[in-house]
Amino acid sequence: MESVLALRGLVLLRDSVEWEGRSLLKALIKKAALGGEQVHILGCEVSEEEFRAGFDSSINSRLVYYDLFRDPLNWAQTGEALPGGPLGALQAMCKRTDPGPVTVALDSLSWLLLRLPCAALCQALCAMSRQHACRGGGPAAEQLCVLGLLHRELHGPGPTGALSSLAQTEVTLGGTAGQASAHILCRRPRQRPPLETLWFSVLPDLSLDLQGGPPLESQPHPDPHTPQVEPASHLTFNLHLSKREREAKDSLTLPFQFSSEKQQALLRPGPGPATSRIFYEPDAFDDLDPEDPDGDLDV
Amino acid sequence: MAAAATCGTGAGSTGSMVAAGGKNNVTSFQRRGPRASGSDSSYSRLVSIAGTRPSVRNGQLLVSTGLPALDQLLGGGLAVGTVLLIEEDKYNIYSSLLFKYFLAEGIINGHTLLVASAKEDPADILQELPAPLLDDNVKKDFDEDACNHKTAESNIKMKIAWRYQLLPKMEAGPVSSSRFGHYYDASKKMPQELIEASKWHGFFSPEKSSSTLNIEPCSLTHGYIKLLQFIQNIIYEEGFDGSNPQKKQKNILRIGIQNLGSPLWGDDICCTENGNSHSLTKFLYVLRGLLRTSLSACMITMPTHLIQNKAIISRVTNLSDTVVGLESFIGSERETNPLYKDYHGLIHIRQIPRLNNLIYDVSDVKDLAFKLKKKLFTIEKRVE
Repeated sequence: MESVLALRGLVLLRDSVEWEGRSLLKALIKKAALGGEQVHILGCEVSEEEFRAGFDSSINSRLVYYDLFRDPLNWAQTGEALPGGPLGALQAMCKRTDPGPVTVALDSLSWLLLRLPCAALCQALCAMSRQHACRGGGPAAEQLCVLGLLHRELHGPGPTGALSSLAQTEVTLGGTAGQASAHILCRRPRQRPPLETLWFSVLPDLSLDLQGGPPLESQPHPDPHTPQVEPASHLTFNLHLSKREREAKDSLTLPFQFSSEKQQALLRPGPGPATSRIFYEPDAFDDLDPEDPDGDLDV
Repeated sequence: MAAAATCGTGAGSTGSMVAAGGKNNVTSFQRRGPRASGSDSSYSRLVSIAGTRPSVRNGQLLVSTGLPALDQLLGGGLAVGTVLLIEEDKYNIYSSLLFKYFLAEGIINGHTLLVASAKEDPADILQELPAPLLDDNVKKDFDEDACNHKTAESNIKMKIAWRYQLLPKMEAGPVSSSRFGHYYDASKKMPQELIEASKWHGFFSPEKSSSTLNIEPCSLTHGYIKLLQFIQNIIYEEGFDGSNPQKKQKNILRIGIQNLGSPLWGDDICCTENGNSHSLTKFLYVLRGLLRTSLSACMITMPTHLIQNKAIISRVTNLSDTVVGLESFIGSERETNPLYKDYHGLIHIRQIPRLNNLIYDVSDVKDLAFKLKKKLFTIEKRVE
């Protein structure tokens, strides 16, 4: 998990019905707040009281909360709501951040994805990190972290694929037998993305407890269905040579290499034609015609 | 007249110049290559654009893609006036590397660059270009690689039959820096002075298209319209289409467009199946028209693995000239397969254009794999 918080940019927390991600999101928020960063939260799915439950008062006072749950369409016209709907809220949020390390939590990205066109949302997310970099003066990669909670059963492969291609880190929540796990995929710009699996649990005071490995009764390997393919097995010929065979092979002279012995052998007149002969005994079924021994004359 | 015209177009995309000069010739047959006396002066000027060469098959003007192995697979290089579409691999590692090789080749040859992207600022992309390999370092690197390769395997000496022993050994590595394609060191960055000395134009989509108007369906998205206008302006103002008579030396415009079709351009074909499916295809159609009438070559990388509607992929393939697909093994089950352990992915040559020609320039090798070593990107025929 240390690597998750060390990396900045867009972090997707993909949860599902069985393994919810809001507690992990709150744990990460708490960690960021304790680390002295500014934390801005866009709350859409749950009410503010429910979201703030579990944080102690010192952290609660540091969280800047934008509430889109109570009145998303601004019917009450109270004037405290952010203009422009959800997209305007996103843009306003990034305008209000001060320079320095910032964590923005979107609860949830699924809510936004269902109400906004996907392309506009992707552009807004990229614009957030860029505008923060412009104001902060430092590279955006280290300054801004956007934690987005995504419920992966709500969306088809299109939007999730598009968001995954934008995200710097993807954390997919799963687990077995009561123990939650997080598969973390970090996209680094020029290297192969490393895939880690961490087993964790979120304690009641919203701190993260990392377990070392999977519990004993979980399956040993994520995909046991492909055994290692051994290409050199079940061959009908011999790929390896024994020592004696190798010596015999090395001492063999190649047909077109003219060694001196070969030259002498060729220059010497060979023995007479009596050394090799073919003997043939005709058997009962042969019907040799003495005038046509080959049997190919069409007579 | 018709015969002269077809011969003229056979010599290159700007064959109109050649045809104009060729009116003095009596015959409609034109010899390829540099000629001695009585040669067509405009033809020899055409060939002398830096970084280009005529194809050996039909005299089409070619530029290098930055990767000599890929040039060989495409029949000598990328034809001027055509589009090379790279289908990105899943994590966009190798396709962005090919994109950078293309731009780096432009800088080394002195071509003008036009870099368009919706994700990164073009200035940042140019800072990340790989450094060219110079001659004296190159042989060292190649020998190093060869030695590492040998010590890794067991030392089985192979006895060669006599007729191959006497043949001269094939030169596998780069030999001189003044030839057509160059080699690049992916672990080093291009020196700053080379980048500053080059001429480039950048198009960063979020800056240029600030309005978010709703455009009616079946038309180009806003980002694409702006990009096409930008390209058209550059081509016209700098005279790549012959409109402003160029007093100075002719040059090639290398256009690189990154991540075309991704949601950051405002296009939603990667997000939904029933989105605006004509925007991208219209863009490619208009782009090809712009390229065919100018001295430019374009490389586009597109995340086709995200496109939901498969019919769009086949339309996009038809609208591009050369299409190369990259498939990396990261994350797939092939990563652990020992048959693929030497390679990082597969290259699929999906389409080769038939330019001024009746036959394709297809290489007979279909099973190709690539590997990114520490410094070099190599493409090899996959050996079982």
